[in-house]
Amino acid sequence: MPLVPLAPSRSTGYNSPVPPVSQTIRVKVLFFGRLKDLTGRAEDSIEFADATTLEQLFALYSARHPDLAKYRSSVVASRNQEFAAWNTPLRAGDEVAFLPPVSGG
Amino acid sequence: MATLPHDDLYQLVREPIDMASLAQHVRAPEDGAIVTFDGFVRNQSHNRATLYLDYEAYESMAVAKMREIGAQLHEKYRIHRVAMVHRLGRLEIGETSVFIAVSAPHRAAAFDACRFAIDTLKRTVPIWKKEYFADGAVWADGELPPTPAATPRSESAS
Repeated sequence: MPLVPLAPSRSTGYNSPVPPVSQTIRVKVLFFGRLKDLTGRAEDSIEFADATTLEQLFALYSARHPDLAKYRSSVVASRNQEFAAWNTPLRAGDEVAFLPPVSGG
Repeated sequence: MATLPHDDLYQLVREPIDMASLAQHVRAPEDGAIVTFDGFVRNQSHNRATLYLDYEAYESMAVAKMREIGAQLHEKYRIHRVAMVHRLGRLEIGETSVFIAVSAPHRAAAFDACRFAIDTLKRTVPIWKKEYFADGAVWADGELPPTPAATPRSESAS
């Protein structure tokens, strides 16, 4: 007996009449400098709804660590080791980092 | 990203930086000039006496960004080789934290490229220093790297 898919495949493409199914994804999150001090961790692995943006992810951590919010304007985000716009949607397996102003040299 | 000459060096290290051997590394018979930048730990910050510094990096991204700077150098300037090394961990006063050497057939390109390299490194490479004083420690004021503008949501993430 053939297997019946329980949910429409996400690979049906952008023009599919079927809206994409909301899924949860897992990403790796890294904190550096004072952000690491504030969250008490250098690295986290977190699950949330697919297409959550970097901005939403930062807000999620700010809810857990209220001190983070006041640094939002002086933080940049990266996705897979490239600086990324705050409205960038995240995908399963992404590596996200929140970076305070850099001070190398 | 543009491919880099195989003889370039972009590294993060935890041991003292051997400046002489890096300068030697970029030196070649077809060159006529090497310009180097030696950045080292100052004994004070905002009039407070510094005890030592502790550097950390987002290491994989930092090396990638250093290599990007190298690619820009080769695009913009008539240079030959680049060596760019940043040290991490605890550094004492006077120890070199960053060293850049650029060789070129003629000096102007080497000067310009070396200046561009350190200025860009300080703006875009994810490295941070914590300054330790007699009465506490602070993360150094830094520079905010340029962030891409918000993209329309319809644009697929690459």
